[in-house]
Amino acid sequence: MKTLITIYLKDLLRNKYTTMMVMLVPVLLYPMLYWGITQFLMVKTGLTDNQEINLSLDIRSDKFTSIKDSIATIHNFKTTETADENFNKEGIYLIVDEVDYLPYYTIHLDSTNSIQKQFFGKLKVKLSGYYDLQLGGRIDASDYDTDYFDTFWVVRHNIDGGDEAMTKILSILIPMMSIITIIAGIGTGAVELTAGHTEDKTTETTLTTALSRKSIILAKVFATNIYGLVAGIINFTFLTFVIMQIISVLMMQFTNKKLDFDWSVILNLRTLLLSLLSLAIISYMMSLIFVAAAGFAKTRKESNILITPFFMAFMIMSYVVIIPAIEPSLVISLVPVLNIAMVIKLLIVNDIQIVFFTETILFSLIWMFLLYKLLLPFMLEEEIILGNSNTSLIKQIKGRFAKWKKK
Amino acid sequence: MEEKIVIKNLTKEFYDEQRGAIKAVNDLSFTAYAGEIFGLLGPNGAGKTTTLRMMATLMKPNAGTISINGFDTDQDAQNVRKSMGFLSATTALYPRLSPREIITYFANLNGYPEENTKERVEELIKHFGITKYADTLSEKLSTGMKQITSIARTIVHDPPVLILDEPSSGLDVIVAQKIHEHIIDLKNQGKTIIFSSHNMGEVEKVCDRIGVINNGKLLTTGTLDELREITGKYYMEEIFIYLVQEYESVKQKELETAND
Repeated sequence: MKTLITIYLKDLLRNKYTTMMVMLVPVLLYPMLYWGITQFLMVKTGLTDNQEINLSLDIRSDKFTSIKDSIATIHNFKTTETADENFNKEGIYLIVDEVDYLPYYTIHLDSTNSIQKQFFGKLKVKLSGYYDLQLGGRIDASDYDTDYFDTFWVVRHNIDGGDEAMTKILSILIPMMSIITIIAGIGTGAVELTAGHTEDKTTETTLTTALSRKSIILAKVFATNIYGLVAGIINFTFLTFVIMQIISVLMMQFTNKKLDFDWSVILNLRTLLLSLLSLAIISYMMSLIFVAAAGFAKTRKESNILITPFFMAFMIMSYVVIIPAIEPSLVISLVPVLNIAMVIKLLIVNDIQIVFFTETILFSLIWMFLLYKLLLPFMLEEEIILGNSNTSLIKQIKGRFAKWKKK
Repeated sequence: MEEKIVIKNLTKEFYDEQRGAIKAVNDLSFTAYAGEIFGLLGPNGAGKTTTLRMMATLMKPNAGTISINGFDTDQDAQNVRKSMGFLSATTALYPRLSPREIITYFANLNGYPEENTKERVEELIKHFGITKYADTLSEKLSTGMKQITSIARTIVHDPPVLILDEPSSGLDVIVAQKIHEHIIDLKNQGKTIIFSSHNMGEVEKVCDRIGVINNGKLLTTGTLDELREITGKYYMEEIFIYLVQEYESVKQKELETAND
């Protein structure tokens, strides 16, 4: 079987078509994905009437205590006066200081939280109004030229800090991207090693060697798995680099700060090894499914059509990690693809629980075993392995369906 | 003479949605002996390739048995495959591997002793005259070169039985001639060869015995001289046309007369 895996891998790696596909799909897909994600993060979701947000108010100058009355007019702000530096991270923290007899605001918020960003918009209007009021009073009292006082400045801090915000973004991007790149590699490999070899008639000659059919099928699954995993990881690394560059440029543009991300947050041995283990399991599962599905076709074209629904389904499952409400649970650990995406997400934010990880690996292994038992008989069917889509089993199903229809 | 291939009452059915069950091979029986080339002839759709595929363990028969080199294709498929080399109608080479790689890999896949593989591969490359192209990817080779590589791949593990499905199809006369020489050479080494072809000239030249099938049934078998005697025709082409078009009806009439 080792020889056959070597043959298959050489064949795939020397194939311009598969190499192009594996490189082109992510290169076209990721800019779109990136655009979609940034749109998602920036989207202005409509606030519900009962949406509340905590505002911790730290007034450090007696002159500006009246600001709380101005803020109180903002609907649904739950304001608490505090002087505690360990403010509530679940909301916005506003410090009102005094500089040159005028209010000076410092705001801490989570820039990745769209609700906070919208409340910030409302708060900014009030703060600006209050500043103008104070400024007007100061001008009147001192008879100053109004043009001199045109500055309103809010110092905004992200409560997560640069690293944490970036980790959050990567915890969404990495699980999706790694899974999608691997699926793309596996899909391409599976098509080539099944329908491609049927088209080239090489499956037929391989079947007449001393190897068992099971070994040939498993060699195809393993070769697809190795190719998908390696191609996926190479692509993923390349694309992560590209995306990080884009984010870096965006940060420079909006905050005038250079991205100084500490990569050790995610590039540590534990995260890498556990992520690789999870990805290897998912890629083996997907190789089984894709080789089985692609094997029903006679040509590469047909095969691509057959695997597309699986490709879409797995891609969507990996997207689910974006939804903040989806949290690790027993149910999530049961859902293939989603559970692995969740594990990688949690590994990146350093919030992985051993129970969830164990459940995920255990259920994935059970899925793997069940898929193997379920799909192998199909793949060994004489007509499937020789590239005819009508297997005796399918004929039986068709026959039963025809009888039922007749009735 | 030692029986190397014994086929008894072989039947294979396919299911067609419109026509229902179709018998591609119907109660077929024949035997091939050690050191002979047995030609299997028939018009398109006669059941030749299906028979060869069943012999190569690619398909399972619905009824009947096939024994190759003493091993039953149903009970001992792996030993059958070890004892046999199968050359399909298409060259069927991995396009992105070189002849040297293909021949080496197929030696490994067929369990040829690893320590002798290199020597065996080099011997075949030299014997078939493909040294110049041995490291070129096979997708870049000419059809003739591909077919010669295919033959080398088929015999690399030195099997006693060879199944060759249209080995010279689509080749020019010079390459076809070379392939015929190689096939006769293999026969002289004691191999049993099943040879399927549409080219009656090469069948005349290469085969020791010939079996003609039509509609999945074996019409007759015999040496060229025996077939000449049965049909009253001289050239293989005439013999073939007579057997396929008239022989069955003549035999039917004879049977009816005997019954009356």
